[in-house]
Amino acid sequence: MVYKRYKGIQLRRFSLIGFDILLFAAVSALIVIGILFIYSSGVTSTGVIVSNEYIKQIIWAVTGLLLFFIFSYISYERYRYLSVYIYIFTIVLLLITPFIGREVNGAHSWLGFRDIGIQPSEFGKLSIILFLGYYFTSVGKDIRKLSKFLVGFAIVLLPMFLILLQPDIGTAIVYFPIFLFMAFISGAALSHIMFLVLASGLSAVLISLSAIRDYILSDGHPLLRLLSDSATNNYFLISMAVILMIAVLGYFLFKRKYFYWIGYSSLMFLISLLAGAGAHRFMKNYQIMRLIIFLKPDIDPRGSGWNIIQSITAVGSGGFWGKGFLHGTQSHYRFLPQQSTDFIFSILAEEWGFIGCILVFILFLIILLRGIYVVYKSRDNYAILIGSGIVGMIFFHIMVNIGMAVGIMPITGIPLFFLSYGGSSLWTALISVAVLNNINMHRRIF
Amino acid sequence: MRDPFSQSNADKSSKRRIYTVVVLIAGTFLLYAIYLFNLQIVKGFVYKKKAKEVTQREIIIPAQRGEIYDRNYNLPLVENIESFAVDITPGEIPNKLRNKIYDRICKLLDIRKSLILKKVPPKYYHLYQPIEIKSGVSYGKIAYLAEHIDEFPGISWRNKPIRKYRSPKSLSHILGYVGNITNEELQILYNQGYSPGTILGKSGIEKEYDEMLRGKVGKKFKIVDVKERTLKEKYVGEVDPVPGKNIVLTIDRDIQILSEKALGPRIGSVIVLKPATGEVLAMVSYPWFDSNIFSREGSEELYKKLSLNPASPFINRAIQSAYPPASAFKMVMTTAFIEEKPNAVTTTFVCTGSFKYGDRVFHDWKKTGHGKLDLFGGLAQSCDVYFYNVGLQLGVERIISYSRDFGLGRRSGIDLPGEVSGFVPTPEWKEKVHHMKWLGGDTINLSIGQGYITVSPLQMADIVAMIVNEGTIYKPRLLKEVRDPVSGRVLIIKKPDVLHTSHIKKSTFKLVQQAMRGVITKGTAHVVITTKAVESAGKTGTSQTGIKDRFHSWFAAYAPYKTDNPEDRIVVVVMVEAANKWEWWAPKAANIILQGIFAHQNFEDAVTTLNPWYIRGIRGFN
Repeated sequence: MVYKRYKGIQLRRFSLIGFDILLFAAVSALIVIGILFIYSSGVTSTGVIVSNEYIKQIIWAVTGLLLFFIFSYISYERYRYLSVYIYIFTIVLLLITPFIGREVNGAHSWLGFRDIGIQPSEFGKLSIILFLGYYFTSVGKDIRKLSKFLVGFAIVLLPMFLILLQPDIGTAIVYFPIFLFMAFISGAALSHIMFLVLASGLSAVLISLSAIRDYILSDGHPLLRLLSDSATNNYFLISMAVILMIAVLGYFLFKRKYFYWIGYSSLMFLISLLAGAGAHRFMKNYQIMRLIIFLKPDIDPRGSGWNIIQSITAVGSGGFWGKGFLHGTQSHYRFLPQQSTDFIFSILAEEWGFIGCILVFILFLIILLRGIYVVYKSRDNYAILIGSGIVGMIFFHIMVNIGMAVGIMPITGIPLFFLSYGGSSLWTALISVAVLNNINMHRRIF
Repeated sequence: MRDPFSQSNADKSSKRRIYTVVVLIAGTFLLYAIYLFNLQIVKGFVYKKKAKEVTQREIIIPAQRGEIYDRNYNLPLVENIESFAVDITPGEIPNKLRNKIYDRICKLLDIRKSLILKKVPPKYYHLYQPIEIKSGVSYGKIAYLAEHIDEFPGISWRNKPIRKYRSPKSLSHILGYVGNITNEELQILYNQGYSPGTILGKSGIEKEYDEMLRGKVGKKFKIVDVKERTLKEKYVGEVDPVPGKNIVLTIDRDIQILSEKALGPRIGSVIVLKPATGEVLAMVSYPWFDSNIFSREGSEELYKKLSLNPASPFINRAIQSAYPPASAFKMVMTTAFIEEKPNAVTTTFVCTGSFKYGDRVFHDWKKTGHGKLDLFGGLAQSCDVYFYNVGLQLGVERIISYSRDFGLGRRSGIDLPGEVSGFVPTPEWKEKVHHMKWLGGDTINLSIGQGYITVSPLQMADIVAMIVNEGTIYKPRLLKEVRDPVSGRVLIIKKPDVLHTSHIKKSTFKLVQQAMRGVITKGTAHVVITTKAVESAGKTGTSQTGIKDRFHSWFAAYAPYKTDNPEDRIVVVVMVEAANKWEWWAPKAANIILQGIFAHQNFEDAVTTLNPWYIRGIRGFN
């Protein structure tokens, strides 16, 4: 194919026949670094290799890169109408996973046999991106309407709910920001998006409040005790429901704007209170504690605080240059848990130091900013939406995983894309970037 | 299908939202980079230290405890003998085999399985830190283990010498014993370099000179992983242990054995002391115990059982018990009388067998009376009536001040823990405690060493030492010298310490010595002190205890009576408690001891030579 200069369309310096070399280079570099540290995590201090995860990861990487090439040349346009079926297929897989799935780390999230298996919840992320993209493009500007916004949210809530049943809270949570990202780009009303952001934030606070009171703060503030008390919670619930009804009535009778905002806030509180109460019914206090322990890991240094303390120590002790590849002590003396998956960043930070971290940051930034550039330059709304969904997904993984490794985010078990050991997440990441690549190629074909 | 996306998708609001996303992403990465900079570079040293601490362990290299010798420095009284401790490293035992291996090792070491389960709870199963399950394991069992090590994964052994206390067993009170430091002891001693797991002296010399005996532990470092598995040992910063010093006691093994046998199985004590230096040559307290039991399995139960024994074997009766001195106190009275009264020696009193004071009658031990006696006669016959008169003439204040001069009522400061001070009553004390006035009758009782006054056998020895030394008491002690454990070089020689110097005239003491000689030559002890090996001087004492026909029996003596070299002199004090059948054993035991020491004989030879009337036929000696 020969590409000519169309008006407004230029060939990028890093593109070879539209194929985004820079994107590919960054992804490949990250995968190589990932394999290096998966290898490192499987070597003991005496130099004995105790894990063959790195070999498996190489296989995943090679096949994944093959998929990357294939998907790079599959037109994203095909997904627009296929996405419904992909979505339904995903839902079916997620429905059966809790029943026939293999249990790993307490969650039935695996499908497959013997050592080979996939996590439908990983591929599900991409599936909802494609389907949400279709939905948002088909409603167009009507997305500003509350009803259309809510239908979009329901599309995401269904798989989220199914994944929570596995139960895999960490993976389920990722679906939420994907929706927010795409809704934001699709032009949804800011008040709707803010409602979800604030309500979920408030829910998180209310859910963890009693655990924070019991474990983190030895003696709670009276206000805190009041809020985390279940009896007063019921009064709050009732009064919020009453306020909401009055506000709705008032809005329809008098058509005053302030009734809208009163109803908006009271509903937000109502949902958060319900979420808090629901979480306490279905989650044990210690499960909640695991999510908030990062606030003060020292209260349980040998138990739930262990992972965070060891990870922060690993990262901090890396210093500027790091301890050198294969020379980390926290990792090779096995103080650091789950080194090849959740805490791969910690072993990297320990052995390659600040320099290595910044290198990885730059590679991630290349992928993300490149992705946004593709979105920005694209003229097709479907491409814009699925592109931003992919960028949002990758960004959220990086933020939560690295935040967890340095101790400023709760431990959720979200892998670090491209680096963490695991076929499903690597394939999902590679296919996602391939879709970005394909969008990039397409915008020249107009 | 109609494309719902016109140019509007690239409108300004959509672009603004994309810019927002860029700012969000770039901002997050910037914040994370700053956070990492702070964590890895600004605070990096904190975490580097933390990472080091979490992997580095200090290993204590125990120091060899010093040995204890008698004054001749030939055979050790206490030594360290080779012994082994068996450890379990829980992580090295496959869980499937755990039960089987526990059964095997229990059978081999003869221990209960519950003990292992208690020391190695399931939460340790993944750890690689050795846990001791038994110490004091014999070489034979270790040899078996070594041959069959394939059947015992996770089982290891190491050298752990145990303290062996050799005979004579009667040294148990002096030597004491060692044990693991308790939490209470650790709280007090932590700053003195003791750590958990330290072996320390619990009583006797082991406790008194613990710091010297124990030496200094060494240290080395190792790197461990999360399961406490040793990865490598580090020699940087290694400190070698310094072995403890050897201690040479003033005790003479032969005299100790002689005294032990002379006292025999009678509850009581013997002290043999060198008055010229304060050195204790022998110290026996019966019943004694076996210091070796504390290094055996189940020592706690044995200790409990022994503690409940009514004969209290853990009490060192020579220094930890005080009794009424009875007639032996007349040595103090005699000294006071001579010092206070110019013509004391020629002062006579008539003894009719009883003494009337006010409306009370005080009896003499000899109901028929002694007749007219002078001071020497009074002491020789131990006439109570004579000393009732002496006591009344001196008055209670003088008796008290002379008693104090002889060191009564306060500890001698011997280098053994737990010494008692005895008691010298005063009128003020009686009024305060008993709310009764001090009466003349109390003075009369005190004059013959009865009533409230109590004296420990060691203090009794010091009374005699003061008379022998003519006014000086040297602090009694057990430490002769300290030697280097390797070269045997003498590091410290303990010099005599003057405990007390009296202002009593030397001439007074010379007269008291004469009076005490009279006790042997023509007095109460004449019939029992039959030894021809040496001339001695002394005083008997028989104290009432309220039990019919049971008396504490004292004998305090020194020998030789006359000598040009005061270094040759020894003081012998024997105290036999009223708990025993009355045999008047104290002077009889002293007789054998004097014979043995001065004729250089052991107990058996001394008895054979003496062929005393009081042993003939009784215990199979001819």
